[in-house]
Amino acid sequence: MDSKRKMDSPESNVLTRSSPFPDEVLERVLGLVKSHKDRSSVSLVCKDWYNAERWSRTHVFIGNCYSVSPEIVARRFPNIRSVTLKGKPRFSDFNLVPLNWGADIHAWLVVFASKYPLLEELRLKRMTVTDESLEFLATTFTNFKALSLLSCDGFSTDGLAAIATHCKNMTELDIQENGIDDLGGGWLSCFPENFTSLEVLNFANLSSDVSFDALEKLVSRCRSLKFLKVNKNITLEQLQRLLECAPQLTELGTGSFHQELTTRQYAELESAFNNCKNLNTLSGLWEATPLYLPVLYPACTNLTFLNLSDAALQSGELAKLLAYCPNLQRLWVLDTVEDKGLEAVGSSCPLLEELRVFPADPYEQDVVHGVTEMGFVAVSYGCPRLHYVLYFCRQMTNAAVATIVKNCPDFTHFRLCVMNPGEPDYLTNEPMDEAFGAVVKNCTKLQRLAVSGLLTDLTFEYIGKYAKNLETLSVAFAGSSDWGMQCVLSGCSKLRKLEIRDCPFGNEALLSGLEKYESMRSLWMSACNVTMNACRRLAKQMPRLNVEVMKDEESDDSQADKVYVYRSVAGPRRDAPPFVLTL
Amino acid sequence: MFWVSLFTMGRATNSSSSSIDSSSHPTVSSASSFPRLKRDLSTDLSLGLSISTSDHHYCPSTPREQQSDWPPIKTLLRKALAGEGNKCNDATFFVKVYMEGIPIGRKLDLFAHDGYHALIRTLDDMFSTTILWAEVDGVLHSEKCHVLTYEDKEGDWMMVGDVPWELFLTTVKRLKITRVDKY
Repeated sequence: MDSKRKMDSPESNVLTRSSPFPDEVLERVLGLVKSHKDRSSVSLVCKDWYNAERWSRTHVFIGNCYSVSPEIVARRFPNIRSVTLKGKPRFSDFNLVPLNWGADIHAWLVVFASKYPLLEELRLKRMTVTDESLEFLATTFTNFKALSLLSCDGFSTDGLAAIATHCKNMTELDIQENGIDDLGGGWLSCFPENFTSLEVLNFANLSSDVSFDALEKLVSRCRSLKFLKVNKNITLEQLQRLLECAPQLTELGTGSFHQELTTRQYAELESAFNNCKNLNTLSGLWEATPLYLPVLYPACTNLTFLNLSDAALQSGELAKLLAYCPNLQRLWVLDTVEDKGLEAVGSSCPLLEELRVFPADPYEQDVVHGVTEMGFVAVSYGCPRLHYVLYFCRQMTNAAVATIVKNCPDFTHFRLCVMNPGEPDYLTNEPMDEAFGAVVKNCTKLQRLAVSGLLTDLTFEYIGKYAKNLETLSVAFAGSSDWGMQCVLSGCSKLRKLEIRDCPFGNEALLSGLEKYESMRSLWMSACNVTMNACRRLAKQMPRLNVEVMKDEESDDSQADKVYVYRSVAGPRRDAPPFVLTL
Repeated sequence: MFWVSLFTMGRATNSSSSSIDSSSHPTVSSASSFPRLKRDLSTDLSLGLSISTSDHHYCPSTPREQQSDWPPIKTLLRKALAGEGNKCNDATFFVKVYMEGIPIGRKLDLFAHDGYHALIRTLDDMFSTTILWAEVDGVLHSEKCHVLTYEDKEGDWMMVGDVPWELFLTTVKRLKITRVDKY
């Protein structure tokens, strides 16, 4: 590596070098810089630092797989061992992007096979991954250790079988929320009998049965296993046996938490949880009932993250459980806990930093339960450290939000979803402009914001004026005119991702951001008032942006139904399917 | 009012004003609405057809659930919710219901109701009358009203509504709607 480097950068010979440090020292020091943002800054200091940084970097994070090509990445960073890649636009999570849109990992793997044969880790989000790719990955990279697939699609359990069969040094297999073809649980049995290196195993979202015998043996022999998240088919009785094998777990995702147990089995389960003193994260708990929740209590003392989004708990059950979780920092619940449950959160979890409340019945209009503004307010009084919220509700008021941000001024992520589009403040019947005005005025550290409810351009004036640290903004069914979007584009200097759907923003707004989009990762606009001509103009004037349009079946020729604009050094996509028009 | 609305919103308006009328519940809308309208129409119809059980027996395998893009919840989270035992339960609990003076009884699935209010509503419809029960005690004045009673496990006839719904479900054997003057 030393000789290669010297040949590569003739300008860093002694006579012209500006830094008094030998390259090796610089590289050693910079090698300790982990954050990719810091590394980016480091690389801009001077040529020496740029080179030292690129040689010492082992992990690369690519937020948009189409912003760069694998060849360009490999040319700049010769020593990568770990890659994180994100693919499709976020709204693909909500069925707004058709299948076969792209973001296929295969082309990347082919380049990595020749440039990074020692690749160890691959973390993918919203990418398409086929079984062939997984097989290729498993058989090509002999040092491969960690695979994390979040919201990916295109593969089946056969691909997982290939990974289990061939990756002898696997430490992490994390399969979350994917559009996977579940052909059966046989993949788990493919881990060889002498395989013992696993530290992380998450198959919580797979629906078919794995062989419990194989699982139990796997867990027993992997003494370093720290994270285990099983699927719904694992029973309480089986869970108890797994916990007996692995009391050292720090993160646990249980299976189904509902089974008829004998008194003795209950006692054994309780004892198993009692031995798990290292748990900091707990999830799963499908169909949890008040009968069995108490077995968890002894394991909750050190819990910092409790994910109850699969367990439809009532307020009383939650309150009792939270009494045992004094150190909780992150909590995810379903709105079945109602405001009363959230009051319990406020009173039991003073250290809470993150709260996510999901709707149990998102499609029901006439629901009388769920959470309201009162629950959110109650949490804000009890949890002053709260800085991340995702809250689904059916009613909200401007006054409540003002109170919430007064109690918790440190919000970095404020995602409020009033589920009925265009819903006003239910007490005053006014738009919710003042609510989000209060958020951006009070919360100076705000990085991510999602707005909802009846909103006029005033909301966006506030955002543009006050949200100076805002990086991600999600807007749906809001705004009155182009002016709103223009305020955001001109005011939010740190904006990186803007995603908009069903808003009355049109060409003037789109084109007002001409200069801005190169400093952003991407812009998504769907079901707005943007025309094809405006998109063509944008594409023509900004050649370093990729402007892609997807048209809906029966819309008129001039309308640009879905627009996705992103900066790229790789030029237009070469793998775009026919329904993606690159302008 | 249902989520899926036949109104188009974004496209029909000018960019200068938001025509969101909060009472019309516009949902997935805009120029691209036509394909969505098609889908919306079919789910609207299916909702219309299943109206009697839609609130309480919501079976999430309807087209609306799988193709919906609002609210913004990840597909697989929705699928996980769909698996939640509570709402989409195959279990039923049919009990006989007799109205005094009418020899032919009806049958009613108690599990399809989530509480007393729902039960009373169904019975009001089924028997075209006003049913009185524990919650409206003290208002037993009209001759046209009936009182709802049930036979419990011990064979006693009790007025409906005094005990929690869950407990009621474990003890009820059959229902009877008696005329007020006899009560």
